[in-house]
Amino acid sequence: MTSDPASAQWRTIDGHPPSLLEYCREIHKYREVAYVLIRRDLIVRFRQTYFGLAWLLFKPLMLMAVMSFAFGFLAGFEKSHAAPYPLIIFCGVIPWYFFSNAVPDSMNSLLGHMHIIQKTYFPRAIFPIAAVVSDAIEFFVAWLLFALGCLWFGYLPGWQIVFFPLFCLQLIVLCTAIGLWLSVVNVQFRDIGNLVPFLLMIGFFVTPAGYTSIRIPEQWQMVYALNPLVGVIEGLRWSLLNGMDGFPRTPVILSLATTLAMGLIAVRHFLAVETDLVDLA
Amino acid sequence: MSDIVIDIVNLSKRYSLSHQRRPDSLKAWLRGLAKRGTSGDANHSAEEEFWALKDISLQVRQGECLALIGKNGSGKSTLLKILSRVIPPTSGQIRVRGRVASLLEVGTGFHPELTGRENVFLNGAMLGCPEREIRRRFDAIVDFSGVERFLDTPVKHYSSGMYVRLAYAVAAHVDADILVVDEVLAVGDAEFQRKCLAHMRQLASQQRTCVLVSHNIETIKQLATNVARLDSGAIAEAATVGSDLLDRYALPQ
Repeated sequence: MTSDPASAQWRTIDGHPPSLLEYCREIHKYREVAYVLIRRDLIVRFRQTYFGLAWLLFKPLMLMAVMSFAFGFLAGFEKSHAAPYPLIIFCGVIPWYFFSNAVPDSMNSLLGHMHIIQKTYFPRAIFPIAAVVSDAIEFFVAWLLFALGCLWFGYLPGWQIVFFPLFCLQLIVLCTAIGLWLSVVNVQFRDIGNLVPFLLMIGFFVTPAGYTSIRIPEQWQMVYALNPLVGVIEGLRWSLLNGMDGFPRTPVILSLATTLAMGLIAVRHFLAVETDLVDLA
Repeated sequence: MSDIVIDIVNLSKRYSLSHQRRPDSLKAWLRGLAKRGTSGDANHSAEEEFWALKDISLQVRQGECLALIGKNGSGKSTLLKILSRVIPPTSGQIRVRGRVASLLEVGTGFHPELTGRENVFLNGAMLGCPEREIRRRFDAIVDFSGVERFLDTPVKHYSSGMYVRLAYAVAAHVDADILVVDEVLAVGDAEFQRKCLAHMRQLASQQRTCVLVSHNIETIKQLATNVARLDSGAIAEAATVGSDLLDRYALPQ
């Protein structure tokens, strides 16, 4: 398939940061690398395991059981909800689980692949993006369990379910933005790699994963909702659990704003240092 | 002039030698900020500079095979890395025409847990070769590597020879207009090396352009059409392979 070089276009290598449009074209051109990386991540995760792909459902099932027990039974949060408690928990724990995997996975993706980055070129953003997507696949499969749960409890989601994909999309965008940004920051300042696990631990408590945000006192609601996951998770609950507690307008708007801001910071910073990555490492 | 496919213009690459100054932790960076606040930009002058490449200009025509020679640290690999877009130049530019495939190392991105077959596709994609192309050449790749019996075995169980042969086979079958090769031809046993050389010559006969780094004068004599000798980041001499440059270089000094 050799093209005739005489008719091929000149490409200039001068070390200038690419524009966003150019960069997106490059990513599209090398998209097959992303496919293989995602496939590799998923294969490696389940190869040499006895249960193989069944882990995709075991993990969320165990999470839901543990969290329902801890928050519903031990902490006594179970009362005062219309929808079945395990389903409420599921809508919080599964997005949190995805977030808390995707952020460190993508954050470490550039450092972890430095041996490749030093030897060949394709757009470096493919590594963090592929890391998020392979976690997102697990995330989506987990919702099968939610469907089973609905059958089990005889529960039928309402029309609001049409918004489900939008909240999922926002969550993926959020993880990608944070992951892109942290992945380059982690190359420059490796302190981040030590810091993030602690931040995630704190994050778990300020995210309505094991509880719902009605538990937060009225005067703190705005500050609380600055955590973009609040809007996403309450939005998911609203869309899947028949508009439970009404539409969470303030958290959703705040969350969209923080997600957008995060995305802008991430893209700007990433593009600025992308060509210099090997020299920075 | 229309057959030029690589045009290097005033290319330079600078490295800063002051490793302690480079902020590789947040603390160092903060300390640097504080220092800059009190003493201006004084610590910039303390940085020692090293020019890995200094004002290189060079052109390669279609179908040529350019061999870069020179002592360790003369800038050969830096030039190949810039050409492969792994690192950016500090100033100047390279213009290229056509698809570039870089072979700076054999088996870039090979994953130990994946089978030989899976790694062929992974490695192929990283070298910029679409999956359907790899699929079409799959038999040729396997044939070339001679590991067909172990194709569905994870490469962590391969011997180092098998590993390298499979990796080279993929790289050899990635169809590119311009091939950038860094000292990777010296892999496998004597028989496999003969196979590699024959393959490279065949590519040359198909008007593919090639830029390679090698310390092996015999390899260069067999493959290259042109030779450039680098010294301290600059081109000291450039000539055709038939000239006495190589012979003088091969002589112990």
